[in-house]
Amino acid sequence: MSSDRRGPRAAWRAVPSGLLATPALAWIALFFVAPVGLVFWYSLGRKPGLYQTHANDVLTLDRYREALGDTFLTSFAGTLRIGLAGTALCLAIGLPFAYWLAVKVRPHRRFVVLALVLVPFWTNFLIRTIGWQVVLSPEGFASRAMQSLGLIDTPFSMLFTRGAVLLGVVYNYLPMMILPLYVALDRVDGSLREASKDLGANRWRTALQVTLPLARPGIAAGLLLVFIPLMGDYVTAAVLGGARGNMVGQLVASQFQQAQNWALGSAMAVVLIVVIALTILATAAVGAACTWLLTHRRRRELAGIAEGSPA
Amino acid sequence: MRARPIVDRVLSLWGLLVIAFLFTPIAVIVVYSFNRGRLLASWEGFGFDAYVAALSNDDILSAVSVSVRAAAGAALIAVVLGTLCGYALARHPGGRIGRLVTVLLALVLVTPEIVSGVALLPWFVSLGVDHDLTLFNSGWVRLVVAHSLFATAVVTFLVRARMQGMDSSLEEAAADLYTPPLRRFRLVTLPLLLPSVLAGALMAFTLSLDNTIISAFVQVSGSTPWPVYVFSAVRAGLRPELAAMSAVMLLLTLAALAAVALVLRRAGGSKEAVDALSGVR
Repeated sequence: MSSDRRGPRAAWRAVPSGLLATPALAWIALFFVAPVGLVFWYSLGRKPGLYQTHANDVLTLDRYREALGDTFLTSFAGTLRIGLAGTALCLAIGLPFAYWLAVKVRPHRRFVVLALVLVPFWTNFLIRTIGWQVVLSPEGFASRAMQSLGLIDTPFSMLFTRGAVLLGVVYNYLPMMILPLYVALDRVDGSLREASKDLGANRWRTALQVTLPLARPGIAAGLLLVFIPLMGDYVTAAVLGGARGNMVGQLVASQFQQAQNWALGSAMAVVLIVVIALTILATAAVGAACTWLLTHRRRRELAGIAEGSPA
Repeated sequence: MRARPIVDRVLSLWGLLVIAFLFTPIAVIVVYSFNRGRLLASWEGFGFDAYVAALSNDDILSAVSVSVRAAAGAALIAVVLGTLCGYALARHPGGRIGRLVTVLLALVLVTPEIVSGVALLPWFVSLGVDHDLTLFNSGWVRLVVAHSLFATAVVTFLVRARMQGMDSSLEEAAADLYTPPLRRFRLVTLPLLLPSVLAGALMAFTLSLDNTIISAFVQVSGSTPWPVYVFSAVRAGLRPELAAMSAVMLLLTLAALAAVALVLRRAGGSKEAVDALSGVR
């Protein structure tokens, strides 16, 4: 469009750039939009017989009623607890770390530290989870070492508890929190922090009122990148939680893999998507309210200062 | 100002603790790959038995080979589709197709794996069985397609970010010199995009190697990928062979990572290498 002004050369530059996006669009439409749409469609159907997985001859909301039964809700509450606690812990651990990496570590060493953070990211997450299973298992070296030191008498049994699952998910998703936080904090201009200091703010006030608000997009990205995959993950819980690590993902999977009830499994998957979306919206609303309160108070403070100093 | 060293020291200690935390299970797996016992978790003595056993176990070798072939296919598709799409999005950000693709790719990124998995299984079954597209009954095709979706989104956003950071004057200069579009893309645009394309390819490859949940759904028996094999071993009992094979794969991944980092470093310095590999830009 903008190339018209160049006259005869326009022909050479008229690459239909929009067209270059169409292969990806077609691919996504065929293998993402269509199948996910089908899940919504199946969720309105039923399982007609022992050997059939689904039928949509009658459209009904019964599968949702079934999906919202007691077992599912209990499992859901557990999953949501793990999801929220895990995400919060990732933020609590990752934020000081990312701040340290972006602000305190000298630039030439940052390369090395960032590479160190990335190495676990590039190794198989299931294998890393199994590594924790070895650490936590009663025959494992953690238990043996503690026994030989006389700290405990009986083999140590942290494996197959909720605590173990929480440890596993925090471990597995921590790099997903650290990276966006680091990127956001790295972009905050150091001179803004200096200006804040020069204007008399102490380090806490600078961190809370200058650095953190500027890093907000990174915090939001980190929360999303951790919370969403965590809610659907059942592998970590299966490896470290055993029977107690029953996550919603496991229930959905068993409807497809064992029970062969695609209608019910689809309804469960839709409920999972809806709950994740609602949790994100609620968190975003709380975040927006907090931001508004902070800025509103600050503005009034500043207005008060301006009025109070006529000279 | 007196508070400074203490806070800084606490922060540094925290940083080191987090790094130690991140490396604990990896170190454990590497150490236990030298376990001579029958069970992974109970240490019986040092030896290379597990490596010998792993490299002569046909199930393990076939699972790894399925995974590597699937990862190569997925990375290839993701790089082709993602590079074209990222380029288009950066150069024509306002277009209707562009906006639609951006929204869809973002949705692909935020959809939990379990949902993609349960969506793709019936879809492949209905394409392959009901509509006689027998292509989709192949385990390799299913894994490649399933893994390529997320990877395409990753490559697209990496390429778009790099494109946005560059002005279009080089391409315009080439156009002014009457270079035809395809040649221009190959000779001017592609070399400029190389760091993000390489980083994207590597990311697509490892994401595919890593994928457990979607693979568990779409796999066809007889072509079980490595993570699914490992996951089934968790239930059946973990043996040191798994740790040995994982240590070998970790070594290979690190070698690939180092090779790409070297190329990127030569192309644009260490900061750019890290940024590209971490998906920062």
